[in-house]
Amino acid sequence: MEKLTPQKLEQLHKQKKQQQGNLIRVGMSSCGIAAGAQQVYSVLKEEVSKRGLPVSVEKCGCLGMCYAEPLVEVQVEGVPTVIYGKVNPEVALKILEKHVVSKMLVNDYIFTFQVE
Amino acid sequence: MAKVIKAKINGILLRVPEGTTILEAAKQVQIKIPTLCKHPDLEPSASCGICIVKVKGSNKMLRACCTPLEEAMEVITHDPEIVEIRRTVIELILSNHPNDCLKCARNNNCELQKLTADFGINAESFPQFLRDIPKDISTNAVDLEPQKCILCGRCVHVCQNLQDVWALSFLERGIHTRISPAGDIQLADSPCVKCGQCSAHCPTGAIVEQDHTARVWEALQDTEKYCVVQIAPAVRASIGEAFGYTGRNFTKKLYALLRRLGFKAVFDTNFAADVTIMEEASEFEERLLKAEKPLPLITTCCPSWVDFMEKFHTDMIEHFSSCKSPHEILGVLSKTYYAQKNKIDPAKIVMVSIMPCTSKKYEISRSEEMFASGYQDIDIVLCTRELARMIKQAGIDFENLPEEEADSILGEYSGAGVIFGATGGVMEAALRTAHYFICGKDLKNVEFNQVRGLKGIKEAEIEIGAKKIRVAVAHGLSNVEFVLNKVRQAKRDNLALPYHFIEVMACPGGCIGGGGQPYMVTDELRIKRAQALYEDDASKQIRFSHQNPYIKRLYEEFLEKPLSQKSHQLLHTRYKARPTYRK
Amino acid sequence: MYTKTVFLKDTGADTEERTRQVYSVFIDLIRNHNLQDQVQVVRVADIGIYNQGIVIEILPDNVLYANVKEEDFSRIIDTTIKESKVIEDLLYKKPSKQLRIVLRNCGRINPESIEDYIAKGGYLALKKVLLEMTPDAVIEEMKKSGLRGRGGAGYPTWLKWKFTRQVTAEQKYVICNADEGDPGAYMDRSVLEGDPHSVVEGLIIAAYTIGASRGYFYIRAEYPLAVERIRLAISQAYEYGLLGKSILGTDFDFDIEIRLGAGAFVCGEETALIASIEGKRGTPRPRPPYPSVKGLWDKPTAINNVETLANVPYIILEGADNFAKIGTATSKGTKVFALTGKVKNSGLVEVPMGITLREIVYDIGGGTISGKPIKAVQTGGPSGGVVPEEYLDTPVDYENLQKLGSIMGSGGMIVMDEDDCMVDIARFYLGFCVDESCGKCAPCRIGGFQMLKVLERIASGKGKSADISLLKRIAFAMQKASLCGLGQTAANPVLSTLRYFENEYKEHIDERYCRAAKCVELLNYTIIQEKCKRCTVCVNQCPVKAIAGSRETGFSINVDTCIKCGRCFEVCKFKAIARK
Repeated sequence: MEKLTPQKLEQLHKQKKQQQGNLIRVGMSSCGIAAGAQQVYSVLKEEVSKRGLPVSVEKCGCLGMCYAEPLVEVQVEGVPTVIYGKVNPEVALKILEKHVVSKMLVNDYIFTFQVE
Repeated sequence: MAKVIKAKINGILLRVPEGTTILEAAKQVQIKIPTLCKHPDLEPSASCGICIVKVKGSNKMLRACCTPLEEAMEVITHDPEIVEIRRTVIELILSNHPNDCLKCARNNNCELQKLTADFGINAESFPQFLRDIPKDISTNAVDLEPQKCILCGRCVHVCQNLQDVWALSFLERGIHTRISPAGDIQLADSPCVKCGQCSAHCPTGAIVEQDHTARVWEALQDTEKYCVVQIAPAVRASIGEAFGYTGRNFTKKLYALLRRLGFKAVFDTNFAADVTIMEEASEFEERLLKAEKPLPLITTCCPSWVDFMEKFHTDMIEHFSSCKSPHEILGVLSKTYYAQKNKIDPAKIVMVSIMPCTSKKYEISRSEEMFASGYQDIDIVLCTRELARMIKQAGIDFENLPEEEADSILGEYSGAGVIFGATGGVMEAALRTAHYFICGKDLKNVEFNQVRGLKGIKEAEIEIGAKKIRVAVAHGLSNVEFVLNKVRQAKRDNLALPYHFIEVMACPGGCIGGGGQPYMVTDELRIKRAQALYEDDASKQIRFSHQNPYIKRLYEEFLEKPLSQKSHQLLHTRYKARPTYRK
Repeated sequence: MYTKTVFLKDTGADTEERTRQVYSVFIDLIRNHNLQDQVQVVRVADIGIYNQGIVIEILPDNVLYANVKEEDFSRIIDTTIKESKVIEDLLYKKPSKQLRIVLRNCGRINPESIEDYIAKGGYLALKKVLLEMTPDAVIEEMKKSGLRGRGGAGYPTWLKWKFTRQVTAEQKYVICNADEGDPGAYMDRSVLEGDPHSVVEGLIIAAYTIGASRGYFYIRAEYPLAVERIRLAISQAYEYGLLGKSILGTDFDFDIEIRLGAGAFVCGEETALIASIEGKRGTPRPRPPYPSVKGLWDKPTAINNVETLANVPYIILEGADNFAKIGTATSKGTKVFALTGKVKNSGLVEVPMGITLREIVYDIGGGTISGKPIKAVQTGGPSGGVVPEEYLDTPVDYENLQKLGSIMGSGGMIVMDEDDCMVDIARFYLGFCVDESCGKCAPCRIGGFQMLKVLERIASGKGKSADISLLKRIAFAMQKASLCGLGQTAANPVLSTLRYFENEYKEHIDERYCRAAKCVELLNYTIIQEKCKRCTVCVNQCPVKAIAGSRETGFSINVDTCIKCGRCFEVCKFKAIARK
């Protein structure tokens, strides 16, 4: 990796800002991991890879809603972006099946939907 | 020139150089802010919290011992609130301290006791709780009683920063904090060199010299025993402090006192110092002229220094003078030369020495060479503080005693012998005689000011005949590394020797600053004590060890000549590498 | 493909049951209108709105209705769903109390990706500082922003940087204090784990401003994930030329190292932290001299908290004036609080200074778990105090909390209800300080210990009437004579609980009574004869055979034999054992 010049930094910023795509974010800070996020993350990554789903699975930090961990944010084109909470591996698979594949939101697990 | 600032303490205006602490500044207007953990000889540790003062404009109270007085500061040192807090802190400390004053070695001589009395504390507001930590008497020189420790930190500071030995440290934390060697081992198994600087700075009875006065009383009362005694040079200049005198030389009253106590013969270590010079100057001459053994030559009168070298600087062993300390020399001579001359059975002789240090208590059984007479050459060592206690126990009006002389055969000394007690003294004495041995004539000017004084490392160049002899004098063990490293580097890079002759004393100031000396030492006091010795030297007719007629007699009648076989058998010793941590 | 999404929840109900019922009703109506293929209806778990009846949110219209009745459903479907029009009388403005500045990227980016951080504007503040601002200009900007140290002391950041900058020395240091030790506080941990680059960027800017060429992250070893993420962030920054020599092509060099703490709360105190980095025993040193003048290895050092540093890039990019618009006159910006205890939604909340405690606990936190009224809120960790219910409308800022006898601290906020005993709380916090005391100074080491003994006596029913003044006496000595903040503030929880809840102390001492039923030795167990079925289960379960009697005459507990283990209370199926 080349060391950044001010111009390259500016460029990189503009370039990365544009990139979007289908994305699943799993809260992987200590609060999440303590609640079981590691298994959720692994299951999601495995399943997405196995089935070749067009969505990337990434870690993210603590949203502050620690009472609802493990938290999983799902951004899929054509479906409102929501954050699911109290997710376990079973629910995670359901989210993949319903939300990602069938483009239908999963009942009873949504904790917030207005994310900036 | 430091900037001068103006401020007020208790409403009194004063001017002090910038950087002066509130504690020091207050003294200038006759205000004594109480302290406990602060020792005038050491940097403040700021732990006890007794010296707190109020500063106008702030809610906080600051510690006077370490806070510099600032321009336009207005300090209040005493008001009902401040005093109440100080009382509370003292009572808290007392609640964690045994109520053992009557049985403690520091009774009537304890900083905590004095502070408590000054504050008129007469209640126990807090339940007492003691930490369950056993005593450590393993070194037989310095005893630790951690239950009495108030965690002022002085001993740790001294052992780590001033002496560079690192035998003591803080273990654990909070209410469980205690002083101990690292690894929670016994002091005897640690790098401790028994210099006793910790005990000399301790405010309470937590670290004290192991008291051997009872053994001395016992020996004195035993009609079967023939008790003899020797006094070290440094003792005469400091024993007076126990009676309110500073810098006064009590030599002749000490002789009288010791006879009154019951000693059959009173000797002076200074005599043996002269013997040491005869042997060591000869060693130096040999190494300089014959080069069979390497230079520099390093002095060995200080057993803490020897212990330190055997543990930390074993590569320097070959440079050590094989000569014993004057202390041990007098011991072995008393049980051989003296005993033979006076037809006394050496088995009955009890040799007691009064020394300024705790280290000598360890020295007397350091190795088999300390038994060269066929018996333990020295039986009991007392330090100055113990002697002071014995004088009071014996009910003798010490300061008004008539003056007496020592028992001459091992008691007469030259000026060179007495200055052993000050840092640089051994070097000066040795050079006076070395000059004679090497050039065949005496120096005109016998005082070497370049090696006197309290600078940690003193370097000088002296001309002996055609040669320029470079010497170094170090005191306080933290100054040793610099000097030795210079030597090591020269050896490595094949350069000219930085020094031919090195004197090391473990205690800052030399023996007069020893670990067994009276409490509350400061540099000012060290200078006064050393001054008394230098004045003794200046007043002497004979100022060269080799001119002492009793020394001449000793060699003629008994030892033959310096470094003779008999000398080697009785007056010389060996060294070996020792582990810093045992087991 | 759904054109509209409807989110639905009955926020007035405790269980999911009601929401399911309401959902069925709504779904049926949707089917009736034949909209099931265009409209997705979803039951949500929790959307931060409480006790507003049935709540409905419709996307993409972004319309939020609350206190909806089932009768309104048809109206909603007709108006908003079919015609995308708003029904004014059902509209609900969800108060958005939080303002995420420090936590701006947490949960929004992958903390292990520097490019994610750059995408969000990361390191653009550094670029601006290095290329367009002098150190004095940065200090001026920080001054305008009014940012105060978030570690608890609230010292103006610009002033600390200014003092450190002013001292001439060939070497200066900056340190990020990540030794967050307050029990229950984990704001710094989340920032380090969720947005490590923001702290790194803040530290680089600090270094440039004061003229430091070396910096340290002092992270407590109990945060291994934070250590790992910071380590990764630092190595990525080096890779991209944002650390090391000639940063961003300028002549500014800066290196960072990580040092780990080793389990000492006191090492969060700046001079003890410095001692720890120097390899010495972690004990404080007297100040003055302050670290800005003589710090790490006697060189000028600026030590800043994680949260403080995370604010810096934001202030530089968005402007100090915008930052200063948030908060109160003396306390600008936001504060992250770790809201825990008896609260429904425990977690991290970031709010503008000036918000009231009541808003935080009820509007964001959702009120108490038990539904019982709040007794008090504890702020500031072991250095802080309690704020009783009647002061919950106090706007939160440094000065107000101090006036109430507490402190802002690093951000711990613990909600307590009537089941929390104030004596027990004081004892817990003081016990923590006694455990963590370094032991160097007598007032804290022994004073804390003696105070704790008094509290333990009070809590076990052996309190004496003179104990309260004894506590105050030791507290005063500790406050004034301790060497560092740990000792100086260890007595705060005691003093604060005494100030507002002295009656509880008196109850413990005079009546041997703990109204919260927390202090075990004060509990009395008795049999409620009317409820007792004389089944003798408790008689058999009692480990000390303290229950005696017969099926004919009834049973009773011998108060002297009873060891108050609570076994009988647990096993009685008829709730016939009274405990108070």
